[in-house]
Amino acid sequence: MTNLQAPLWRSIAAFRVASLAYAAILLALRRSIYTHWGWAWGVLAVMTVWTLATTLLYRAPLYTKPSWKTKVLLVADLLVTIAALLATELVQNPHSIKLGAMPVTATWLAGPALAWAVIGGVRAGAAAAIVIGACVVALRHLPAGQVLRSTDLDGPVVLLMAAMLAGYIAKLSSRAEQAMQRATEIVAASRERERLARTIHDSVLQVLAMVQRRGAEFGGPAAEIGRLAGEQEAALRALITADVSVLLPDGELDLAAQLSLDAQAFVSVIIPAAPVLLSERAVWETTAAVREAIDNVRKHCGENAHAWVLVDDEGAEVSVTIRDDGPGMPTERLAEAAAEGRLGVSHAITGRMRDIGGSADISSSPGVGTEVRLRVPRKIQANGQAALR
Amino acid sequence: MRVMIVDDHPMWRDAVGRDLTEAGFEVVATVGEGAQALRIAGSVRPDVVVLDLQLPDVSGVDVTRGLVAANPDIRVLILSASGEHGDVLDAVKAGATGYMVKSASRAELIEAVRRTESGDAVFSPGLAGLVLGEFRRMAVSPDPNTPRLTEREAEVLRMVGTGLSYKQIAERLVLSHRTVQNHVQNTLNKLQLHNRVDLVRYAIEHGLDSAPD
Repeated sequence: MTNLQAPLWRSIAAFRVASLAYAAILLALRRSIYTHWGWAWGVLAVMTVWTLATTLLYRAPLYTKPSWKTKVLLVADLLVTIAALLATELVQNPHSIKLGAMPVTATWLAGPALAWAVIGGVRAGAAAAIVIGACVVALRHLPAGQVLRSTDLDGPVVLLMAAMLAGYIAKLSSRAEQAMQRATEIVAASRERERLARTIHDSVLQVLAMVQRRGAEFGGPAAEIGRLAGEQEAALRALITADVSVLLPDGELDLAAQLSLDAQAFVSVIIPAAPVLLSERAVWETTAAVREAIDNVRKHCGENAHAWVLVDDEGAEVSVTIRDDGPGMPTERLAEAAAEGRLGVSHAITGRMRDIGGSADISSSPGVGTEVRLRVPRKIQANGQAALR
Repeated sequence: MRVMIVDDHPMWRDAVGRDLTEAGFEVVATVGEGAQALRIAGSVRPDVVVLDLQLPDVSGVDVTRGLVAANPDIRVLILSASGEHGDVLDAVKAGATGYMVKSASRAELIEAVRRTESGDAVFSPGLAGLVLGEFRRMAVSPDPNTPRLTEREAEVLRMVGTGLSYKQIAERLVLSHRTVQNHVQNTLNKLQLHNRVDLVRYAIEHGLDSAPD
C-alpha cells in the first residue's frame, strides 16, 4: 500500500543526486573562491555518502506514524546537512561568502526539509526549512538590519514554500492511500455479503414459494397468505436479478434490470441473461411506457389477469412486448376507440416511444388478450442522444 | 416412471416427493447434495431428475453436466427458487430440458415432470426469454458455425415468452400443436449441440483429446 508514497521518495532521492552533481560542478569550476579547496571536496564526499544513505534508508514504507528510528534518521539528516552547510565557513573565502557565493552544499541542502515534510506534514517541513534557512542567512554574517532588505532571503523563502508544498502533497497522498485501502476493504466486505446474501435469499425464496404453493392448495384465508407470500417472492426475486441498475460510464442503463424491478405477483418480466443497454433516457421512457401498459391491464382486466413483459434485444432494435390474458377486444373496436380519442393511455405510450425515436403497436383479439409492442431502435436513439447534448 | 429429486431443502424434497408419489410416479431417491446425486444416479437409474440449482456442494449446472454425461437418455428438469439467469441458461446448455420456478402449482409441476419424461422440452416463459436472448447474443458472432434461429422459431419463442400456451400459439400461427412443440425443441437442441461442439473444439485446441499417458 505504499504505492503513493514511493514516488515522493524517488523524486526526493533524484533531487539529492542531481543537487550533488550540481554542487560538484560548482566546486570544480570555481576553485578561486575557496581557501581550502581540498577540504571542500572532503565535504562533498560526506554529502555523497549521506545521499546514498538517505536514498536507501528513506525507502522503507513510512505512511504510518513515524517510528523512533525514523525520527532519529530525520534529525541526523538535518544535522549532517547543516554541518555540511556550515563547513562552508571553514573552506570558502570569507569575502566570497559575504558577497553571496553558493555554499558548498548548493541546492543539496533542501533534502531534509523535503524529507521532514513528507513524513511529518506541512509544519514539520516548514520547521526544517526555517532551521536550514536560518543557517544559510547566519553563514553570511550580515548585520541584522540588512537581512530583511537583501535578496539573501530569496533562497530560504523558496525552500520554505517547497517544503510546505511537499508536506501538503504528502498529506494528500496518504489520505488518498487510506481512502483507497478503505475502498478495497469495503469492496471485499460487500462481495462477501453478496455471497452470503445469495444463499439466504435462496432460502427465503424457497420458503415463500412453499407458503404460496400450500396456501393456494388449502384455499380460504390460507390462500390470502399464499398470495401475500407470492408478492414478496416476486419482489425479492426482482431485487436479486436487478442488482445492476446503476448508470454505466457511457451514460447507458440496463433496460432489462430496470424492468425486472417492476415484476409483481401478476406481472412476469422475461429478460435475457445479458444486460440490454440503452441510453438513460430511452430506458426511463420505455420503463414509464411499460408501467402505463401494466396499469392499464390492472384497470381493464381485473384482479385475476396476468401480464407478461418480454424484453427482446434484436441488435438493431430492442422490443418490449406486454401481453395480458384478459378478455381482449376485436381489432375494429380498438381502431374505433382510437378514432374517438378514447385511448388516452395508448396515446401516452405512443408519445413516449416517439420521443425516443421508437414506436408502439397495440393489437388485441378476444381470447388472446391485448398485446402492446414497444420498439426502440438503437441507431436513431443514438442520434437523438447526440442532439440532446 | 422413475424420478430422483435433488434439493438441499428437506421441506421441498418432502413436498415434491409427496406430490409426485401421489401422482403415480416412482420416486426412487431424494438427495440433498450434488455429489451424492451423481454417485447414486448410476444405481437408482432415474428417468427424470428434478434438480434444484442451489446446492451446498456441487453446482446444479455441474450436476446436470455429470448426469447427462453418464447417461445421455436421462432427463433433467430444473426446479429453482431464485432462478438466477446465468445458472439457468448454463444448466440448459449443459443438457437440462426444462426449467420451472418453485412457485409453480402442484398441477404444473406434475405436468412438467410428465412432459420431461416423454422427451418434451418444458419451457416456462422465463426460459424462452433466456434462450431467445442467448441466440440474440450469438447472432452478432461472425463464426459461420454459430447456430441461428429461423424467423418462425424466434416468433414461437417470443410467444412462449409472453405466456401463451402451445395451444394458443398453434391457433394463432395456424400450425399443429406438435409443430409448435418441435420448434421449441429445435431451439433447445441447437443450443445444446452448439455447447457440445464448443466443448469438443475447446478440448482439441487445448490438447485434451489425446489419451493420458
